[in-house]
Amino acid sequence: MRILVVEDDAEAATAMVRGLTEAGHDVTHAVDGAFGLLEAQKGGYDVYVVDRMMPRLDGVGMVETVRKGGDQTPVLFLSALGEVEDRVTGLKAGADDYLVKPYAFAELIARVEALARRRETGGVLTVLKVGELEMNLIARTVHREGQEIDLQPREFQLLEFLMRHAGQSVTRTMLLEKVWEYHFDPQTNVIDVHISRLRSKIDKGFEKAMLQTVRGAGYRLEA
Amino acid sequence: MRLPSLLRRTPFRLTLLFLALFVAAAGAILAYVYFASASEAQARAQADVQGELNALTAIHRTRGVDALNQALVERTIRGGPYLYLLTGPDGKIVTGNLSVMPFDLKQPRQAGRGEWSTFRLTTTDEDGRVENRRSIGVILPLTGGETLFVGEDIGGIEEYLSRLTQALWGAMALVILLGLAGGLYVSRRVEAAMAGLNRVVQAVQEGDLKQRAPLRHSGDELDELGQGLNIMLDRLETSMASIRHAGDAIAHDLRSPLTRMRAKLEVALIDAEAGKVNGVDALTIALDEADQLLKTFNTVLAIARLQAGGAPDPKVFDAADLAADMAELYEPAAEDKAIDFSAEVEKGLMVEGNQPFLAQALANLIDNAIKYTPAGGAVKLRARRRSSGEIEYSVTDTGPGVPEEDRERVVQRFVRLDNSRTEAGSGLGLSLVTAVAEAHGGRIVLDEGPGAYGDFGPGLRVALVLPPAAN
Repeated sequence: MRILVVEDDAEAATAMVRGLTEAGHDVTHAVDGAFGLLEAQKGGYDVYVVDRMMPRLDGVGMVETVRKGGDQTPVLFLSALGEVEDRVTGLKAGADDYLVKPYAFAELIARVEALARRRETGGVLTVLKVGELEMNLIARTVHREGQEIDLQPREFQLLEFLMRHAGQSVTRTMLLEKVWEYHFDPQTNVIDVHISRLRSKIDKGFEKAMLQTVRGAGYRLEA
Repeated sequence: MRLPSLLRRTPFRLTLLFLALFVAAAGAILAYVYFASASEAQARAQADVQGELNALTAIHRTRGVDALNQALVERTIRGGPYLYLLTGPDGKIVTGNLSVMPFDLKQPRQAGRGEWSTFRLTTTDEDGRVENRRSIGVILPLTGGETLFVGEDIGGIEEYLSRLTQALWGAMALVILLGLAGGLYVSRRVEAAMAGLNRVVQAVQEGDLKQRAPLRHSGDELDELGQGLNIMLDRLETSMASIRHAGDAIAHDLRSPLTRMRAKLEVALIDAEAGKVNGVDALTIALDEADQLLKTFNTVLAIARLQAGGAPDPKVFDAADLAADMAELYEPAAEDKAIDFSAEVEKGLMVEGNQPFLAQALANLIDNAIKYTPAGGAVKLRARRRSSGEIEYSVTDTGPGVPEEDRERVVQRFVRLDNSRTEAGSGLGLSLVTAVAEAHGGRIVLDEGPGAYGDFGPGLRVALVLPPAAN
């Protein structure tokens, strides 16, 4: 997919461009908000990755302008400011996700891909399907190879998020933010335990393990 | 103090302004008094003269001009306040105590109609001094062609008024003098009081936060200003100290993991050069250390910010929901460690605060409890309303607990008891909980747990007490 990286720190930008390119994406880099705006107006991007603090036009200003122009391309905000208010300001300006520096590379790629994917599956779905795994969002049921799998409400939400991002890595922080809707450091592997419970329900007794652990990143659901 | 600089001083300028207003007002009142007394005296004299004139015209009307002449002679001899002059139709003086008619009729003479005027009467007193005394009088042409003048010397009034004016000017001068002196005094006093404040401000500008304004405890507004200044400086000093302390704490706590990381990287480098380990493993270790470092750094910053600025972005929410969510999140992790995890949550516990920070605090408490409770133990999370109305989260475990003498210490930064050193952690967990509690106007209370529990105990009960949301 095509990604526009707007970042004034040359070293950070180089690392980002390289990492995203190696993950198979087509990356363009703009050195500040004003150039970012010009580049965004050319169109054709799937995700904008925008640094919060930049000379000339900063991230908030750029995203506000982009949104005013009717451009709904998903935006991932990068910021060294981790405070709650800063997050709120960023999201209010029109960003779709917010990542605090410093971040793990796997986290950045996972979030960028999640944003692009959300755009692709923008339509209203009632049934999610990943390989032999099928989730009915209306009846709140899950089947694998025709067998019904009984899930707790939170397990259902967890699986729904993984299925919506099937084939992509999702990080533990993303799961805590998107499934539990909490922003804090859980100190221990609480998410791992929930994943392993879910795994025992959807993979146990089947030949293929769908819910995989991605080393250094998080988890991935594969067909 | 030189005059020009004195003139620039606010209290003195205010004094001058006040003085000017006072002098203007006093002047107006004095002028009113002056004119009112003058016209009052003149009116009274005029009424007296009119009465005398009426008496004389009555004599003339009833008994003729000779009787009038007679009466005038008698009155002149008897003396009295009035001036008389009667002239014949030819203008010659018939009788009276004046040598000339003091003024002429402005209108052609018309019998029975008097004309009033004021004039100056030149007299000589016993000491031979010539005086021009203010007088008032009326000229009345009589029917027989004679002219009657009746008047009164009102020079006494003038003397009175001029004495009054002198007294008034004197009073005015005294007021101005006293006012100026008072202004100077007030100005000096304010100046002296302000000098103390200015000295403190100057010292603070130069970086000395220890200076305090001298207080006179007089309860006036300068004293209040001084008190306000002192309170402000106290706060400033505290937060400066807290920032310095945070800086020291960060430096202290980052030094050891940084040193550790450096050592590991060095060992990895040596090993990699010798071909004993592969570079990827060494880098992975370094990355983990870096992550741990960042976490510590963020926690220290969060504590510093909470202590300096309170809880950011407060919202009213149900503490029960947060407790339920946390129980749901941590229950599997506890179960994995064979710990019996239970939660007892009352409904409707509204608090006002920063939800992410409170979530973090609660997570730290639960995480600690699970970490220090051995397998087979129990951890219980409760959320309830205390009888005082406060909202209390408590986490009770059956681990080894914290000896009473150490409880005070474990909430401090970076303090880890000896038996916990083997566990991962920064030693900031409870400090953050304390900072969160205090930033919300609450507190943290450490107690003994349920006592012996199998081979373990006595356990620990940590309560996070928060004030309830208003309404």
